[in-house]
Amino acid sequence: MGDVFAWLLFFFILIALLVMIVFQLMCLADLEFDYINPYDSASRINNVVLPEFITQGVLCFLFLVTGHWVMSLLCVPYLYYNVRLYLRRQHLIDVTEIFNLLNWEKKQRLFKLGYIILLLFMCLFWMIFNALEEDEHSF
Amino acid sequence: MGTENPNRPNYPLRPAASPFAAQQSTTPFLPSGPVPGSEASAFRPAPPASSQFPTPPFPTGPLVGSEPPAFRPPPSSRSNDLVRPPPSYGSPTSGFQRFPTPPLTSTGQVPPPRTSLAGQAVVPPPTRPSPGPVSLLSQPQPPSVPMGTPPQSIKTGQSNPNVPLPADQHFSTSRPNTQPSSPPMGPSYATPRGTFQPAFPGYTNTQPNSVAQAPPTHPASFPLQHGGYAPPSTTPFLAQQRGYVPGPPTSTPSGLYSGNQVQQHGMAPPIATSQTLAEDFSSLSLGSVPGSFDAGLDAAALPRPLDGDVEPKSFAEMYPMNCSSRFLRLTTSGVPNSQSLASRWHLPLGAVVCPLAEAPAGEEVPVINFATTGIIRCRRCRTYVNPYVTFTDNGRKWRCNICSLLNDVPSEYFAHVDATGRRVDLDQRPELTKGSVEFLYMARPPMPPLYFFLIDVSITAVQSGMLEVMAQTIKSCLDSLPGSTRTQIGFITYDSTIHFYNMKSSLTQPQMMVVSDLDDIFVPLPDDLLVNLSESRSVVEAFLDSLPSMFQENTNVESAFGPALKAAFMVMSQLGGKLLIFQNTLPSLGVGRLRLRGDDIRVYGTDKEHMLRVPEDPFYKQMAADFTKYQIAVNVYAFSDKYTDIASLGTLAKYTGGQVYYYPSFQSSIHKDKLRHELARDLTRETAWEAVMRIRCGKGVRFTSYHGNFMLRSTDLLALPAVDCDKAYAAQLSLEETLLTTQTVYFQVALLYTSSSGERRIRVHTAAAPVVADLGEMYRLADTGAIISLFSRLAIEKTLSSKLEDARNAVQLRIVKALREYRNLYAVQHRLSGRMIYPESLKFLPLYGLALCKSTPLRGGYADAQPDERCAAGYTMMALPVKSLLKLLYPDLVRVDDYLVKISSQAEELDNIRKRLPLTAQSLDTRGLYILDDGFRFVIWFGRSISPDITRNLLGEEFITDYSKVSLSQRDNEMSRKLMKLLDRFRESDPSYFQLCHLVRQGEQPREGFFLLTNLVEDQIGGANGYADWMMLLFRQIQQNA
Repeated sequence: MGDVFAWLLFFFILIALLVMIVFQLMCLADLEFDYINPYDSASRINNVVLPEFITQGVLCFLFLVTGHWVMSLLCVPYLYYNVRLYLRRQHLIDVTEIFNLLNWEKKQRLFKLGYIILLLFMCLFWMIFNALEEDEHSF
Repeated sequence: MGTENPNRPNYPLRPAASPFAAQQSTTPFLPSGPVPGSEASAFRPAPPASSQFPTPPFPTGPLVGSEPPAFRPPPSSRSNDLVRPPPSYGSPTSGFQRFPTPPLTSTGQVPPPRTSLAGQAVVPPPTRPSPGPVSLLSQPQPPSVPMGTPPQSIKTGQSNPNVPLPADQHFSTSRPNTQPSSPPMGPSYATPRGTFQPAFPGYTNTQPNSVAQAPPTHPASFPLQHGGYAPPSTTPFLAQQRGYVPGPPTSTPSGLYSGNQVQQHGMAPPIATSQTLAEDFSSLSLGSVPGSFDAGLDAAALPRPLDGDVEPKSFAEMYPMNCSSRFLRLTTSGVPNSQSLASRWHLPLGAVVCPLAEAPAGEEVPVINFATTGIIRCRRCRTYVNPYVTFTDNGRKWRCNICSLLNDVPSEYFAHVDATGRRVDLDQRPELTKGSVEFLYMARPPMPPLYFFLIDVSITAVQSGMLEVMAQTIKSCLDSLPGSTRTQIGFITYDSTIHFYNMKSSLTQPQMMVVSDLDDIFVPLPDDLLVNLSESRSVVEAFLDSLPSMFQENTNVESAFGPALKAAFMVMSQLGGKLLIFQNTLPSLGVGRLRLRGDDIRVYGTDKEHMLRVPEDPFYKQMAADFTKYQIAVNVYAFSDKYTDIASLGTLAKYTGGQVYYYPSFQSSIHKDKLRHELARDLTRETAWEAVMRIRCGKGVRFTSYHGNFMLRSTDLLALPAVDCDKAYAAQLSLEETLLTTQTVYFQVALLYTSSSGERRIRVHTAAAPVVADLGEMYRLADTGAIISLFSRLAIEKTLSSKLEDARNAVQLRIVKALREYRNLYAVQHRLSGRMIYPESLKFLPLYGLALCKSTPLRGGYADAQPDERCAAGYTMMALPVKSLLKLLYPDLVRVDDYLVKISSQAEELDNIRKRLPLTAQSLDTRGLYILDDGFRFVIWFGRSISPDITRNLLGEEFITDYSKVSLSQRDNEMSRKLMKLLDRFRESDPSYFQLCHLVRQGEQPREGFFLLTNLVEDQIGGANGYADWMMLLFRQIQQNA
């Protein structure tokens, strides 16, 4: 039973990650279409960058401690990338250069989005798989 | 080809000088002329030329695509062309060649079949000496290539579209034909022309339309070219379009050379064959040329921009209603019609905009008040009304030239339209006749001009004398600050604490308040720190008088720059304005403190190298962004003799539309004139406040990236808290659609700003450029100055993210790619192996590219320039207008001793003196006195064996001493007065900066090396190539997988 709850937890964490990335993408898209000025856009995005990094780190850690080391391994490249950005101090959006970097920032976040969605589906699969298995056991 | 004529005058000659001037005048080179598009079209299997090229040769108005303009270029425009100097005539000996294409065109057109082929070519004309034979042979070859046009077209007289026939074959056949016809023309060509003209009214005699003129000999051919004329002739005409080519018909004398031939032979114009096809390009022979040295290259023959920046004229002639090239310059005036074509143009595609460039007296931009009607703009794309909009529906509607939307004309703006589609009130509407206008626009109350000074008063500032010079200069400028009674002013000084000054008008002395808590900055008395200058004038003057003495005893070495900056921001954020920072040391306290870096030699050549050129602390970028947000422009004056991290400080200027002034090792005794002049200019030049700029352009093209000192507020909106005439911005274009369907692309630069007088204005510059379908055409219309300007900005930006070497290689690579592409266009056909060919319009590109690689921001490695100097030069070059940039890259070197010694000093002699010399050590005579002027400083070079008289007269008795200590001042003798007058003349011609004199004696190292030798860009310096080697290198790379 615990496993199902664990997967449920992972699922919600992934959803949270998804929301944060989609939010950043929306800010970037708004900026591109001139619905928002670069100052607001950059500060909004920068507000969620660190939470995103931390959430992802936590997720990776939780996978590890709950023994789902395959999933954990899958999370590691993402984590590594984030850490690298952070160490180079490139994780925050630079408001002065935001338009020159717009395409790069968007591409980077789209890849992250794809990555998260992939994880999300795997997570869903395992959750359902576990739930069904438990179901069988309970008979 | 085959043009090598040793006798020819040297290449820089103006036409007049050449013996053949008369013949030449017929527009030898015109390809670039009014009919630019046409030539190219001939080759292309494309739709009728007329339609393709919008070429509006007509000065009066924009051409409509439908017209068959090329055929009859209006005489007026032609004449202009004629006037144009054919600079490119190379001296044959040197190996330089010019290919005079235009005149030759006749071959294709001349139908009469003849057997005599290029016979003439074979015969070496007696006049031409050595190279003769070679060149002759070459002539025949070229024809084969270009002729894409099928004979069919003949009948229609239109362009023969798409059928690219095997050119060679046609040629061969056609060639024979042509010659027969020509014979009559040879000697007496003048007459035929004259007679002819009456018949064809459209043509002027001077005009060399090949077609038109050809007629005398064979009328039959004529019709073809003019669509209207019946095409009776059955003979195969190859190049109908050729008709456009502005070649003199009979005048085959395209070049001098061709003229010669004709006369000599008395027969058919030999030229015709090759030239028909030949495009105009220049070539540089790198192979075996008689008389050349080992390198296979005659250094004297290399092209040099000794006339300074030459703006392309053809563009302005094509579109007389365009704004002046002072304001907007395109890297090529031919916009490619497809993405594939654009991708083959390896040079940057874009524009350099200098929206507030100083206009000479009489050409001021007219100001228009639309108070009654509101500003007329397109509803959809917001384009401002401009000369290229068309009025329809009897004047009730106007069509936007950029998005083609039909807009209503407001009733107050209505005027009838006459039969030709012109508004009857055209002469009272400058916005409909001029490319540059200003509209008054009252949307909100404008801000007052505001100057705020942030002054470092630590010990170095006092000791170097900076403080005193600065205070005096500001005081002397108080009267001429723009804005009259509205101007606001304020001061903060700082060392390890921050000092505010209350200058309320009710006080007699300024009141100083010291804040020492750097972590939590607050502003005491926020209302009285910024005061109205006219009200508090006496207090401000009292402050400036006492400022130097106030800190006389200051021994503080710290600098709380960051906190002071924040304080200034808090004071100014209500109003915006201009912040002038005087910084003498590395910021050492509080937020934004910086550390010494840049002295680590090991970093160079590694991937971390670029870190030295980007701001170290994100604080500076953040502050810059905040400044821009509140319309504050920052100008940084840096004075330190030690490392001050200009890379970080300059960021403030970069993103706020400001400027960096750098005076390394400032000493008031030496540099005071420079600081005084530049600070005064900064304070008093006409400034546009709280500006935003946007460049609109027609459908299908888009500006994608911008380069310069500004911050982007949205994808295409440049925020410029302050702009002035010394700032230029560059932008790159890209094509959004795979194929452009329009004939012309329009650009409109709109700068919305507040003038110092308190008016909100919009300055609008409009320009049109033809869409071309041919790469050769793009090259022909290229503008080296704009290209180099974009190149330098791109290269400097690249140094911020990679190694210097990578940036230099990128420049080189793009030049190579571009020239290789160009070579591929022509080389095969012309068999030009062993020659470097390039378009006439880009003949200086390699040299400027070399100079760029040797410029301060890009040159060498660790030891070749101080990191601060590099960064300061980089920030400066990012904002320089084209002309100043070119002068900086290739400074003027003039010899003046003759002038000084001669007694007479007439004005014309002063002009003579402006004869520039190539920048190589070989130009320097040890007996001479030379001035090198790069727009930022003068270097006066005394030859080793210069007459002692001159030295004594100029420098006084102490002339033996160390030149670094000598400052040039006027002495009581004629020679010294003349020199000073000369220097003043030079300075007047370029007032944006003050050129300080540096005296250098030959052999005086290291000063000579530092000031002069590094500027001799044609010489080999350090590891960098000399000009000849560079050309060889480029040539070799072009050859590879060419």
